[in-house]
Amino acid sequence: MSRMRRKRAVPNAIAVLVSLVVIFPVYWMFATALKQPGKILSATPEFVPWPLSLDNFRTALTHGPFLHYVRNSLLVSVSTVLIALVVALGASIALARFRFIGRRAFLVGLVLVQMVPGSAMVIPLYLMLRSVGAIDFVPGLIITYMTFVLPFTIWTLRGFVAGIPLELEEAAMVDGCGRFGAFWHIQLPLLAPGIVATSIFAFISAWDDYLFAYVFLKSQNNYTLPVWLVSFQTSDGIDNGATIAASAIFSLPVLIVFLLIQRRLVGGMTAGAVKG
Amino acid sequence: MTSLTQAPQTTPVTPPRPDRTARAVRGNRLARFTPYGLIGPALIAFAAVLGYPIVRLVWLSLQDFGPRSLFTGEAPFVGLENFTRVLGDSDFWFTLLRTLLVSVACVGGLMVIGFLLASLLMQVSAWARVMLSVCLVLVWAMPMVSATMIWRWLFEPQYGVLNWVITQLKVFGDFSAHDWFSSPSQALALIIALIVWKGLPFVALTLYAAMGQIPGDLYEAAALDGAGRWNVARHVTMPILAPVLAVLVLLEVIWSVNSFTPIWVLTQGGPDGGTTTLGVYSYLEAFTRNDYSGGAAIAIITVLLLAVLSVLYVRRLFAQDEAVV
Repeated sequence: MSRMRRKRAVPNAIAVLVSLVVIFPVYWMFATALKQPGKILSATPEFVPWPLSLDNFRTALTHGPFLHYVRNSLLVSVSTVLIALVVALGASIALARFRFIGRRAFLVGLVLVQMVPGSAMVIPLYLMLRSVGAIDFVPGLIITYMTFVLPFTIWTLRGFVAGIPLELEEAAMVDGCGRFGAFWHIQLPLLAPGIVATSIFAFISAWDDYLFAYVFLKSQNNYTLPVWLVSFQTSDGIDNGATIAASAIFSLPVLIVFLLIQRRLVGGMTAGAVKG
Repeated sequence: MTSLTQAPQTTPVTPPRPDRTARAVRGNRLARFTPYGLIGPALIAFAAVLGYPIVRLVWLSLQDFGPRSLFTGEAPFVGLENFTRVLGDSDFWFTLLRTLLVSVACVGGLMVIGFLLASLLMQVSAWARVMLSVCLVLVWAMPMVSATMIWRWLFEPQYGVLNWVITQLKVFGDFSAHDWFSSPSQALALIIALIVWKGLPFVALTLYAAMGQIPGDLYEAAALDGAGRWNVARHVTMPILAPVLAVLVLLEVIWSVNSFTPIWVLTQGGPDGGTTTLGVYSYLEAFTRNDYSGGAAIAIITVLLLAVLSVLYVRRLFAQDEAVV
């Protein structure tokens, strides 16, 4: 037992060191955001912010219509996810449960389009939106987010549908359920966690997007949070404390969600991604 | 857009046996049309949001679509002229070379550090494993925009904490007031460091999950045969991990070539175009110089370069996952 413990002492020490290095930028974000504004620009950095202060957050939140940006971000991200889910659910069932002509081609296309860079899609999308007058129009962004959220959602849901044992549906149908009944009573409840997980990931990818929002939204009132964050300036120019506080506000919801689902994430998601 | 969400995944399960699915479907004549009904909306949506823009992109690259075309809507067909122009421009070749360098550096860093971290996770006690993986998950979760803003702050010339730390180390000299962004190579190093830091959790945790599936008997057998740590890594771990490593390399190359936000927010491709990669280059061509066709041509060249890797990835993926085929 003690030999075992000694054997692990060195790796454990390395792990502590590595963890500190890896997490430092995230820590520094919160540490900076919570500092008193006067202490941020100091030649010798203060590693533990004390006394804590919410002034940076106050500056970030009160400068410009923050809630307006939250609304824009939520509007676009939530609509994107809902539309994608409705379209993707049927498609994912078709791909996981039926063999049909063109199925393989569709699957290949599904993976390939996810490899096309956003910086390539942005040019034709810009011209498309422009020709229908949807530049600087917040809901117009939903269409552009479909380009990456939809393939991802179909692919991921397909995996979850395939994970439900076929026997359960067959048993339900033997017991007199129709195909739809089997879907409604058996598949859907079992699929619920998968739908939630997929929605979370899809939501975050829309929430995080900077490129499309930056190109397609012009007036400040229409900004989503990432565009607001990058362009953040107060009347006195760049306020580092407030900018970092704004980054913290923007990241916090995502960090919390990831921490909540992390057990599942580390176990299932990565293993499935590239299993050997 | 981010590595965080692009991971295609399947829950590990027994794939449904094809013969049984076939029987279930044959049993019902209506069922023959069901899959098309189910997938129809997705097909229509695909055609609208992906098919049309991609066709438009290709068409655009064969036209001369400049600022005036925005208003007239007319653009003359010029064949492959945009491509010959782009390929004849030395800027393009420098950008291509830079993109390759960035991507090799990113993928190299990611794979080496990721592998070391995964091995570390295998060896530590439970508490250390939880601690390190929570840290990794938090980094994974960080939105790219926030991460980039923090990077800018960490390396801020006057008050950035990293300059202070480097100065205190007293190895590299005085870094107070050192401006990383004034030199293209140093700015690129920061960008690479950011991409590696953000991408590390996915690589490390994926490799860790894969290592956990290697049967312990193999290591016992190797130990009985007197294999040292290096030989175990080389003859047991590596061959088993090879398929996973291959897929990770493919994905990370594609993702690192595609990364736009870190570069754009940190340097906008500057100074003097010194941090411009292909994605930024096509963006600048289209939206700053208003040469939409030139931008489209660059984008298509990028997509074609990546297509080779994408096809390799698809083949690997489909070979592994029987449920897909």
